[in-house]
Amino acid sequence: MAKQINDKIDELKTGVDWFYSDDFKLEDASEKYRALTNLAKEIEKDLVEMKNEINVIEEDFSKD
Amino acid sequence: MNNQELQVYSVSDFQAVCNQILDTAFTGVVVEGEVASFKVNQGKFIFFDLKDKTSSVGCFMMKYALRFPLEDGMRVRVRATPKLTNWGKFSLTVQSVMPVGEGDLKKSFELLKKKLTEEGLFDAAKKRPLPPVIQKIGVISSTQAAGYADFCKILNERWGGLEVQVAHTQVQGMVAADQIMRALKYMNERGEVDVIAVIRGGGSADDLAVFNDEALVRAIAASKIPVITGIGHEIDTSLCDMAADVVASTPSNAAQMLTRDREEVIGQINGDVLRVRNLFNSKVDDILRENRSLVARAKDAVVVKITTAESEISNFMKILEQLDPEKVLQRGYALIRGERKVGSVVNITTSDEIIDAKIEKIVQRS
Repeated sequence: MAKQINDKIDELKTGVDWFYSDDFKLEDASEKYRALTNLAKEIEKDLVEMKNEINVIEEDFSKD
Repeated sequence: MNNQELQVYSVSDFQAVCNQILDTAFTGVVVEGEVASFKVNQGKFIFFDLKDKTSSVGCFMMKYALRFPLEDGMRVRVRATPKLTNWGKFSLTVQSVMPVGEGDLKKSFELLKKKLTEEGLFDAAKKRPLPPVIQKIGVISSTQAAGYADFCKILNERWGGLEVQVAHTQVQGMVAADQIMRALKYMNERGEVDVIAVIRGGGSADDLAVFNDEALVRAIAASKIPVITGIGHEIDTSLCDMAADVVASTPSNAAQMLTRDREEVIGQINGDVLRVRNLFNSKVDDILRENRSLVARAKDAVVVKITTAESEISNFMKILEQLDPEKVLQRGYALIRGERKVGSVVNITTSDEIIDAKIEKIVQRS
């Protein structure tokens, strides 16, 4: 899940960069902005909900 | 009881029975005392006496098992098995030895630090940064330790979605170093984690002494997987810290260094989106402003064209006015129609009259 989160954050960064780049086109901007806000909400939801998985290894390290 | 009732042993049997009794009585014993007559034979056998105010016992150990530098006068704790040698001498066969007491621990620490520094074990060039994306964390700690609980608490508060594999080991005492080394080996052999965190909360110098164990320090330096240590409090520095790739001041700090803060990330994301919205609005405003400017310029151009055309038309009108025959007549000229010869009747038009007149004389102008 965290990998997906990182991918989503990267996607968001790319989306933000587009607005600052020479590729910016007004006719595409509204749709891209809408997609960006949806992605931001999705990331926030994931970040709040995701939990760590902590497992203790069964191996007995007290033995040689 | 007379001699006939007592068991008669050969010397070897007696020595063997004594050792059996010692083995049964002491499966392992920890003895604390002061080192005396420390010496290394043939580069691999170590002999020293362990003594206190009234007694002394000989100790033997293999050099490879010595993990802390020793000197005469140091106070140490040895884990050993007692033994009666073939020559009838009682001695301790030492499995591990660890200095005790702040002064001797410090002395041992400085000796080993000097040795390992000279070897280049702590060179900054050998340090690796933490991976940019951490998905799997290996933790080596005691799961009962407060430091481990702090680590997990901060880790869970800050970030989620991580896979954490925990190797439960002792983190103090004479067996801890070997257990931690086995856990390091286990994780390195599997290669499943992105980083290994060696965690231990605060404690006394004796409690933390395991993290100055030479073999453990070397194992951390040799780890294929980057190692972060979070051992003790801010003021504690161990040789394991110096050998690790990244040092955190405490277990909590290690958790902070391994994770991003989800609240901070959410804030950044919302900030980014807000900045994009402002940028978007600003770009729309710019384009609208530019459009208005273009329309205004076009309007101005049209007005100029119209004004120019009007001016030209006005000039033409003036010229045309000048050419209007009526205007010429109004200036006093007359229009004559008919055959111009003596006796013929011509029609004369002025601005206000039309006259028929007979030509009586024609004179050529010179």
